[in-house]
Amino acid sequence: MFPNELVRQQKAKVRLAVGFGVAGVVVLGILFAVQEFPTPLWLWALFAVVFVFFEWNTVEVNDKLYASPSAMVIMTAAVAFGYESAVLGAAYMAALALLTPDDIRERRWFQPAVNFGQLVITVSAAAGVYVVVRGSEPVSTSNLWRVALASGIAAITYGFVNYQLVLFIVRSVYGHREANPWSHMTSILLPMTGMGFLGGLLGATYVLVGSASIPLIGIVFFTGYMAFESYAQLREAQLSTLAGFIKALEAKDLYTRGHTERVAYFANMIGQAMGFNGTQLEKLRWAALIHDVGKLAVPREVIRKKARLTDDEYGEMQAHVHHVEDLLNEVEFLRPMVDIASNHHAHFDGNGYHGSTGETGETPSLEARILAVADSFDAMTSTRSYRVALTQEYAFGELRKNAGSQFDPDVVEVFVSALSASGERYGSPIEISEEEARRRAEQGIGHSHAATESPHMDTNRGRGSEAAHG
Amino acid sequence: MAETRLRTISIISWLALAIAAVIFTVTGLSQAGIDQGAWISEALLWVTAITLVSLLSVPAPSGSRISLGIGAIVAASILTQEVTAFAAATAAALAIAWVFQRRIDTWSHRTDGDFLSDALAAAVFGATYVYMEELFLGWGLSDDAWTVVGAVAIGGLAWFIVRALVAAFVGVERTDLAGRYLWLLALEDWAVVVSILAAGTLFGLTWPVMNVWAFAVAVLPYAFGHLAFERYHSTRVTYGQTIRALAQIPEVAGLAPRGHSTRTADLAVAVAQELGLHPNDVIQLEYAALMHDVGRITLNEPAILKAGYTDEDIARWGAQIIAEAPYLEHVSALVEQQHRPYRSPGIEIDPDVPMASKIIKVASAYDQAQIEMGLSPVEALEKIHQGSAYEFDPQVAASLRRVLVFRGAIPY
Repeated sequence: MFPNELVRQQKAKVRLAVGFGVAGVVVLGILFAVQEFPTPLWLWALFAVVFVFFEWNTVEVNDKLYASPSAMVIMTAAVAFGYESAVLGAAYMAALALLTPDDIRERRWFQPAVNFGQLVITVSAAAGVYVVVRGSEPVSTSNLWRVALASGIAAITYGFVNYQLVLFIVRSVYGHREANPWSHMTSILLPMTGMGFLGGLLGATYVLVGSASIPLIGIVFFTGYMAFESYAQLREAQLSTLAGFIKALEAKDLYTRGHTERVAYFANMIGQAMGFNGTQLEKLRWAALIHDVGKLAVPREVIRKKARLTDDEYGEMQAHVHHVEDLLNEVEFLRPMVDIASNHHAHFDGNGYHGSTGETGETPSLEARILAVADSFDAMTSTRSYRVALTQEYAFGELRKNAGSQFDPDVVEVFVSALSASGERYGSPIEISEEEARRRAEQGIGHSHAATESPHMDTNRGRGSEAAHG
Repeated sequence: MAETRLRTISIISWLALAIAAVIFTVTGLSQAGIDQGAWISEALLWVTAITLVSLLSVPAPSGSRISLGIGAIVAASILTQEVTAFAAATAAALAIAWVFQRRIDTWSHRTDGDFLSDALAAAVFGATYVYMEELFLGWGLSDDAWTVVGAVAIGGLAWFIVRALVAAFVGVERTDLAGRYLWLLALEDWAVVVSILAAGTLFGLTWPVMNVWAFAVAVLPYAFGHLAFERYHSTRVTYGQTIRALAQIPEVAGLAPRGHSTRTADLAVAVAQELGLHPNDVIQLEYAALMHDVGRITLNEPAILKAGYTDEDIARWGAQIIAEAPYLEHVSALVEQQHRPYRSPGIEIDPDVPMASKIIKVASAYDQAQIEMGLSPVEALEKIHQGSAYEFDPQVAASLRRVLVFRGAIPY
């Protein structure tokens, strides 16, 4: 990046930090003059702690839905504090969340100053809207619908103002960056409204039932939160167990080390460039992780054999791979991924080896097509028993040459441009022809990561091109 | 035999509940100055509510499913003024729910044992709640929400203890599990129980002042937790399946006997439960037992096979592979220790060898004796006994014998 661009960003950051800091302080000052501090104090302190906690730990329900419990806590507090002190109480709670543990550790000051102003403005706007819509009438059984409505509208305000401020900050610092303010709005506002609505009702519960409702609400949310945390942790454990395990099994064989990890990385890169969402990306990553697991059960001497396999050897290898696929199919949630993995040698035009589930002549799924490109690229750019690594350009050329027959042309183009844009390089650094690569392998040059996936396994036994090997 | 006894107990408790419902109804309706129409409609309303809610359940960490019925019972105990109406409704509802449950047990996933413990525990909850509330009011405490919360908390504790005790009792009657193990297992579920109790109390307290909005306040937050518990449960199931699948790769490759890891794990878990290990340790042990031979994948390498290897090598290679998974460090340690004798000359018992590793060693050797040497169960067990000078812990061997007797594999 150009130095003057960095200087410009630095100046913009300072302006923002000062601007937001001052704005936050001014808002707090005005509120101090027009509203009263909420009573009881312990209730304010409790809400503040809970709010700060949720600001620091967002709960990710899934990739489409980011629940924001902090907006809910703000609405609960606003309703519980009442007309005279709703805005002041909520805004002062928000002011406390300015320092995150990360900021403190890294001694940043730009982020906290901006956060402070942003939160104070957002929360004051939301609580202000609530107070205006609801009016000064005390909460009672007959006007609960109005509490719920006002909290819902206030939560929409919260989401909207927060989003606009974030957008403003991003634009001021990185002026040229494009961002569409409406594309994500529904996914933010919808859960936000629900949370605000519920938050308002919980505040009303406190007003109508009394302080005994606090521990009850707290318990229900806390146990739910804990369960979600352990669920997320277990999910992570599952992924890392499989990944670690496959990595370890692979590492036992010097020759395939790192292949799976790289294929998963390339597949993820293509998926991202094609606009996959989190769920789809995760599915792709799992499929990439298990795409070669079947070969772990194949005897090394078969895998490393340089000559063409006999029919018996080929059959034995297929049987091993299918056995492992059967094993993984017993894991319910892996089934769709096993399907993708077992089809990754199928060609775009319907030829090629279709695994145990696919039909010859059928176009494989998009995920399988992505996996095919990622797998072949890594096969070409790493050293094999029968040739040393080829160059990245050569590999791109092979992918393009076979686009339309073996590979999906869209996937190939997306991959080539994504990898080129990333600036990363794979394969041999020096220009090398395929004949030269084979000759060097025979002489044992460049065998440091000698590899070896056999060229015989995929393909319809020889009918595939060099690019098919993987 | 134990099954028949359990069935008898269940039927007797069902009859007892049905009779209780009738007695409560008769005494309730014969009270002086009671509005009979109100009594009946109140009781009927709660019979319906408790029955329906009792059919819903949530998977708890222990693996059993907890009925949400207790939430409805808590709400009913707070909302019904007539103690007898509440008691009659509860008894009738549980009796009906049990019949329903037996019809649709594939859907509700619950057993007669669950029903029995729920029914007894509900009765204990009701009695404790009513007693505690009167006691609190007798002390001069005001009749407010905090009194209700206090009474529910103590009643809920009683409910939980009774449920855990009944589960332990029924479990011991029915299988070869240690009471201690089942008791600890039930304790794992406290978070789910507290969550259901709190949601029920919230409903009971908010209904009079918020009407239908009470559903939003009590049900929505609980639904969030419910979803999390469901997801946690299903992920744990698939996690176990994943490990089971990975553990079999050496077997598929022909480097270990087919089915050995699964059989070893099955036996090791049974022995651990019989010995009363902590449920969390049992899970770790299960994973370790499943993967105890995973190091054999290394034998895929012809050079290694040629050079020769020992049991210790297999254990060490396996531990190295498992250690790559960040969440399985403990499992890796158990696998590494599995080859070690439980004692050596001059040492009474080696304190460094974990119980789980000793169990895996015995279970694995027992299975191997059968499949590799072709021994019968009795002969294989005899081999274990013969090896108990150094190799096999006699305590584990004795437990294995009890498990095999229970399963009918060897005569008593």
